[in-house]
Amino acid sequence: MKIDLDGIVVVTGNYGSGKTEVSVNLAVDRKTNGMDVRLADLDLVNPYFRSREARHQLRDLGIDVILPHEQYMTADLPILVPEVAGAIREQAALVILDAGGDNVGATVLAALADRLRDVNVNMLQVVNPFRPFTDSIAACKKIKTEIETAAKMKMTGIVGNANLIDDTSAEDIYEGYDFALEYARECGLKLEFITMPEILKTKIDIRHFSCPVLSIKRQLVPPWKTAVSLT
Amino acid sequence: MAKVLMKGNEAIAEAAIRSGCLNYFAYPITPQSEVAEYLVRRMPEVGGVFLQGESEVAVSYMIFGASAAGARVFTTSSSPGISLMSEGISYMAGAQCPAVIVNIMRGGPGLGGILPSQADYFQATKSMGHGDFRLLVLAPASVQEAVEMMMDAFPLAEKYRNPVMILGDGLIGQMMEPVEFPEGLKKEPLNNDAWATSGMDTRKSNQRNLVKSLFLDPEALNNNNLTLKAKYDKMKQEEVRFEDYNTDAPYKVLIVSYGTMSRVCRTAIDTMKSQGVEVGMVRPQSLFPFPEDRVREAADVPHCSVVASIEMSMGQMVEDIERSVQGKKPVKWFGKCGGDVPTPEEVVDFVHTLL
Repeated sequence: MKIDLDGIVVVTGNYGSGKTEVSVNLAVDRKTNGMDVRLADLDLVNPYFRSREARHQLRDLGIDVILPHEQYMTADLPILVPEVAGAIREQAALVILDAGGDNVGATVLAALADRLRDVNVNMLQVVNPFRPFTDSIAACKKIKTEIETAAKMKMTGIVGNANLIDDTSAEDIYEGYDFALEYARECGLKLEFITMPEILKTKIDIRHFSCPVLSIKRQLVPPWKTAVSLT
Repeated sequence: MAKVLMKGNEAIAEAAIRSGCLNYFAYPITPQSEVAEYLVRRMPEVGGVFLQGESEVAVSYMIFGASAAGARVFTTSSSPGISLMSEGISYMAGAQCPAVIVNIMRGGPGLGGILPSQADYFQATKSMGHGDFRLLVLAPASVQEAVEMMMDAFPLAEKYRNPVMILGDGLIGQMMEPVEFPEGLKKEPLNNDAWATSGMDTRKSNQRNLVKSLFLDPEALNNNNLTLKAKYDKMKQEEVRFEDYNTDAPYKVLIVSYGTMSRVCRTAIDTMKSQGVEVGMVRPQSLFPFPEDRVREAADVPHCSVVASIEMSMGQMVEDIERSVQGKKPVKWFGKCGGDVPTPEEVVDFVHTLL
C-alpha cells in the first residue's frame, strides 16, 4: 500500500510525537518514489533535534530543504524565512511543512493561513501513545483541538507513530496501530499511514495493517550513535 | 509500570512529582524550559504548585522560603539562570535548608549559546556562591539515570539539610529516551519539626524555630561553618558514586568522563576495543563528592600509563583528577566547549595521540 499524499502536507502533533522523523523519512520515501519534494523546517519551539540535523543528507538526495540561514540555525529565535511562503506559492509535487510541537508550535501556521488558503493542504496529526499527554484517545483529541485553534486549520489525517525509540518492539507497533486506527475512526479522519523502525521490518507482517507503513530510518540521534543512512 | 518515551526535562519533572515534591518555582530558559511546560500541565492534576518567578533571583528565594517552611521544593534552570540564583542558594546552604536544584547546562560564559555544555563544573562543585559551602552534585548520563537521581536527591537534601544539584548538560534535558518510574517511593519529607518554620499546631515541642543564615556573633558563625564542614566531610564518606567501564581489561589509557560525554566515550572505547586498543573509564556520578579514591586506584595500576579528562568544558575537571591521581600518572585533557559535542571519532583520535 502506497502513501497517497500530494500538495502541501503540514505535519503537526504534540511535543515530541516524532513529527521531524516522520517529515524527514516521508520526504525521502516520496522522493525515492519519483516525486519532487520540498521540506520546510518550521520548528520554532524546539532548540535541539530538528529536521535541520538531516539537511545535508536530504540535499544530497535532491530534496529542497528550507531552513533559517546558517548563522541563525542554533538560535532559539522564532525565525520564519520568506522562502516558506515561496515554496507554498510555487508548489513542488509535495511540500512538507514540519511544524513545531503542540499548539505553540502550530501557531506559526496561522501566519501562513492566507498563503495556505485555496491550495491543497493536508494537515496531519502525528500520535505516539507512548508519550505523555497523548496516551489516550481523549488526550489526543484535546491536543488536536488546541493545534487546530492555533493553526486556524482543520486536521485532515492521522499518522500513527508509536515508538519507544531503540526499545520499540513489534508488539508496540501492532498496539500502536490499533490505537491510531481507533483514534482516526473517533475523529472521522483517514489514517494516512503508520510508521515502524526499519530495523523491525523483518519482524512485522505489514499485511496486518489497513494503511500504508512508512519505514523510519532514524536521523535524530545523540552524538554517540550514528544516524541510519538515508541513501 | 510500563515504559514511556520522555524528554529528559519532562522525566525530571515527573520524577519530582513521583518523589512527592509538589512545589516548583522557576523561570524559563533554554534548554530546560520543558520542565516548566510539563509542570504547568501536571501540577494542577496532582494538587501541586508551579509559580514562575519574575527572575531567577526571585526563584532562589521562593525555594528558600518553601524549604524553610518544611516543604519539599525544587527548581530548574540553565547556566546563566543558575548564576542568578547563586545568592539565594548560598543563603539556603547557610541556613541549612534542603532543596533540589537542576542545572541543564548550556555554553558560556555570559549568554554563551543554547547547545550542550559542561562548563559549570567549577560553579557546581566549588563556587556556587559566596561563603564556605558545598552542594551535593549528581551528574546523570541518561534520562533514566536523571529520574533515579532526582528521586534520590530529595531524601539526600533532607538527610544533609543542604541543597542538592542535579547537573546535566543540554542533551540530558533535550534528548528522548524510554524511561520507567520506580514504584513505592517514600513521599513524605523527613521530620523537620526540629528546625523548619512549619507552624506550632502540629509540633510536639513548644520550641520556636528560626531559619537564618545571619550570625553576627563570630563564635556562632564559626560554629555554623564547622557544622556545615562536618556535613560535607560526611558526604565525602557516604555519598561517593561512580561507574566503571571496561576497567577489567588491561587498559593503557584511563578516561574520566561524566554525563552524556561519557556515553560518547563508551562508543569510542567499544570502537578501540574492536581495534585491539584497551581503554578504561571511570564515570563520576557524584561530582561533589568526587570519586577520588576510585580514580586514584584505577590510575595506579601498572598497565595504565595516562589519565584523560574528556569533558565539554575547557578542562575544569582536570584539577579534581590531578588531586585524585596525586602525580602517579600524567593527566591530559580533551574537550570542546561551543556546543558541538565531541564525536566518538574525535575521542578515538585523541586517545591515539596518548599511546
